[in-house]
Amino acid sequence: MDHFKERSTRDYFQKKLYSLEGLMERENRCIYEEPAFCHAACPLGLDAKKLIAFIEKGSFSEARAMLEHITPFPRILVYGCEAPCKKVCRMNEVGEGIDIPALERAAINHGSPKTGKGMLKFKKKQKAAVFGSDLFSLSLAAELARKSYPVSFYVSQADAVSLIKDCAPFLSEDDLAKEAKKLEAMDIKIIYSARLTKELFESEKKNFDIIAAARSFLSICFPGDLPDSRTLLSPVSQLLSSQNGDPNVLEAIFDARRAGVSADRIAQGLDPGSSRGEEGARESRLYTDMSEAVPSKRIPEPREGYAREAAIEEAARCIQCKCEECIKHCVFLQETGKYPRILTREIYNNVDIIMGDHLMNKTINSCSLCGQCTVTCPNGYDMAEICRDARENMVSTTKMALAYHEFALLDMLFSNDEAFLSKPQSGYEECKYVFFPGCQAGAIAPDAVFKAYSDLAGRLEGGVGLINGCCGAIAKWAGRTAMYEECEELLISELKKLGNPQIIAACPTCKKTLEEMIGAEVKGIWDILNENGLPAGALEYDRPLIMHDSCSARGDRDMQAAIRKLTDSLGCTLKEVPYNGDMTECCGYGGLVSYVNKDLASKMAQSCTKDEDVPYISYCMACRDRFAREGRESMHVLELVYAAPAGNPPDISEKRKNRLNLKRKLLEEVWNEEVIEVSPEYKIVIPEDVAEILDQRMILEEDVYDVIEAYHAGGSAVYDEKSGLLTSSLRKGNVTFWLNFTEDEAGEAGVYTIKGAYSHRMKVRTRYDV
Amino acid sequence: MTDNKVYYSVEAEENLICSKCGIPLEKTEAVFEYLDNSFPVELPACPKCGFVYVPEDLALGKVLSVEKVLEDK
Repeated sequence: MDHFKERSTRDYFQKKLYSLEGLMERENRCIYEEPAFCHAACPLGLDAKKLIAFIEKGSFSEARAMLEHITPFPRILVYGCEAPCKKVCRMNEVGEGIDIPALERAAINHGSPKTGKGMLKFKKKQKAAVFGSDLFSLSLAAELARKSYPVSFYVSQADAVSLIKDCAPFLSEDDLAKEAKKLEAMDIKIIYSARLTKELFESEKKNFDIIAAARSFLSICFPGDLPDSRTLLSPVSQLLSSQNGDPNVLEAIFDARRAGVSADRIAQGLDPGSSRGEEGARESRLYTDMSEAVPSKRIPEPREGYAREAAIEEAARCIQCKCEECIKHCVFLQETGKYPRILTREIYNNVDIIMGDHLMNKTINSCSLCGQCTVTCPNGYDMAEICRDARENMVSTTKMALAYHEFALLDMLFSNDEAFLSKPQSGYEECKYVFFPGCQAGAIAPDAVFKAYSDLAGRLEGGVGLINGCCGAIAKWAGRTAMYEECEELLISELKKLGNPQIIAACPTCKKTLEEMIGAEVKGIWDILNENGLPAGALEYDRPLIMHDSCSARGDRDMQAAIRKLTDSLGCTLKEVPYNGDMTECCGYGGLVSYVNKDLASKMAQSCTKDEDVPYISYCMACRDRFAREGRESMHVLELVYAAPAGNPPDISEKRKNRLNLKRKLLEEVWNEEVIEVSPEYKIVIPEDVAEILDQRMILEEDVYDVIEAYHAGGSAVYDEKSGLLTSSLRKGNVTFWLNFTEDEAGEAGVYTIKGAYSHRMKVRTRYDV
Repeated sequence: MTDNKVYYSVEAEENLICSKCGIPLEKTEAVFEYLDNSFPVELPACPKCGFVYVPEDLALGKVLSVEKVLEDK
């Protein structure tokens, strides 16, 4: 199977990422959009968190508009509400909860009413009548008027002020007058001083489609006719009325809201119980981390209410409850600016698109798959699973461009081909153990690998074989299942040849991947060193170090503890940081981020090493390398154990050379095999600044040699007479490599000095070539 | 797509010589191809051996940006 065949934008394959249920099940774990506790506790659905935020900004009019939106008589609400929101405020746990009703009053007092008439609304055909006055019927009459029903409101009072006063006796004279004025301005036909009798009701009801009444009217005229608890419709009289005989302010206003919904259903000829959605107070699933909330006391509200400044001060105490546990710790999520639920939906849609731009491809490939979100999220959201599934889906539907992961995949094949080594210990056909150092160890710290193998082979009984290659994690991260399976086949067959020995891994990712592959326990070299003691010559390190746990060790407390035991025996003094152990962050190598999104990978490494200016120690070679690349002093524990400091981080070409040199050294010195190297007859000089460009542009020295070899063998080049530079190119696989160079004759052999290099993936030809 | 359309054109500067054939490059009709899409362009090429020259600023500029767009199509 050709794993490196480019995709075609003309292939239209599609496979659903998840069933709709599977998608919903995942999305529902994210509680970012859950209402704050104060919001959820309000049966009217007032978003108190938002109202408080407005006040904190000094936007009192916006806050007032929120109140006017939820009830026609906001003064009645803010002075009479029993405020369940205040009781559930999380600040009560660390001090005093926010005085939300006092802030609502401040919003009414300091905010300006909305001006303008709003949109032109046409009156509805169905007419409504409301009999009798209590807070419920008053609110419902206004509610129905807002809904554009022509409303007739029969009351016993003689004027608006006494009507409001009877419904809300707790209001001050001033507020009474204001609410009365508001009532008069509403489009309601109020029949004052009406004689509220059953006769009146019977004679008038035929003129109306919707009829409602104060609860006292219902009880007197139709004793025993109780309103339905959900629709508030009384079965005999067909009157809408409040549920309780003596509702409190919030209940009365909430019942008016519910009765308004029933009125709509009746007007539409529907069952009043249908399509009502969620009504009333509810439990919020929101999680709020209170560990950093500063305890504070309520700003006392004077009789005349808060002044603007006092209201702003009280509002500023609000911690604006929200769950951002995953985002707080994850550089990837911070970079996307999205929370997991919305990110999941966008990834799902991205995978679903057949034609057009797949805008989330880079995002899908920028997750390090480290699993930190699963630990930080109160509900265990697993963004890694979703990104990995999306990658596999994209590969299987040929939507994954090779450009994202090709370099890493070729590097994996290099590890398992040219640089691969699988041998039993000299003198053994089958071994009790096999050492599996991992591809990055050989690339970054080859001396430590050489010494580690020599040490294990010398000290362990029963023979220690060696398999130096890639465990397949790279293919897994890239979503390339078929390549992983080929790697699995190779490793299983090599293990079989060695007599299926106990694997000793030196890399947490290899350990995890191989355990899944063979379905048996893989030991870490740290376990062996703890059991058998340190080798002679191990370096003692007396400066304090920060331990960075590998993201592959997340959830593996035994591994984390074994490493600390090992560093203890080395005499290291460890400083533990908060984001460690199961909470650890990825260095940017995981999930192949460093190949796809270099800037993000840099930020990840910086985030891991942000805490203190102390050297970092890790037990994953990729972490060691990435921290050093960001200019941090970092080391792998094996560099200390085997007194084999790896020095400056190698570039991409040195990583390959290190692996080849390690293989040669092992073959020559451990297995006494002769290795023949063929050198070209010419010399290639790569100055340091050009080597840096090669590293940045992911061009290997091997590619440079191949371009020069092709030119040397008679290939074409462009000679620029102005600069004196030659430019030649070579197509290798899916990439065309270009070199700028000079050619000097030094003795018989040519010397090529490389001056620049670049590449592109597009193929180019003249239009006459086929 | 018609054969007459040219998406991008690079002049062949006089100082560019094909080192193999010893003759100056000429502006030539060429094609970029990627993921089953092709774009007619005009690039300096050797009239004899057909070696097409893609300058660095073109490769890392326009070519790279078109590659990225196509990769996510």
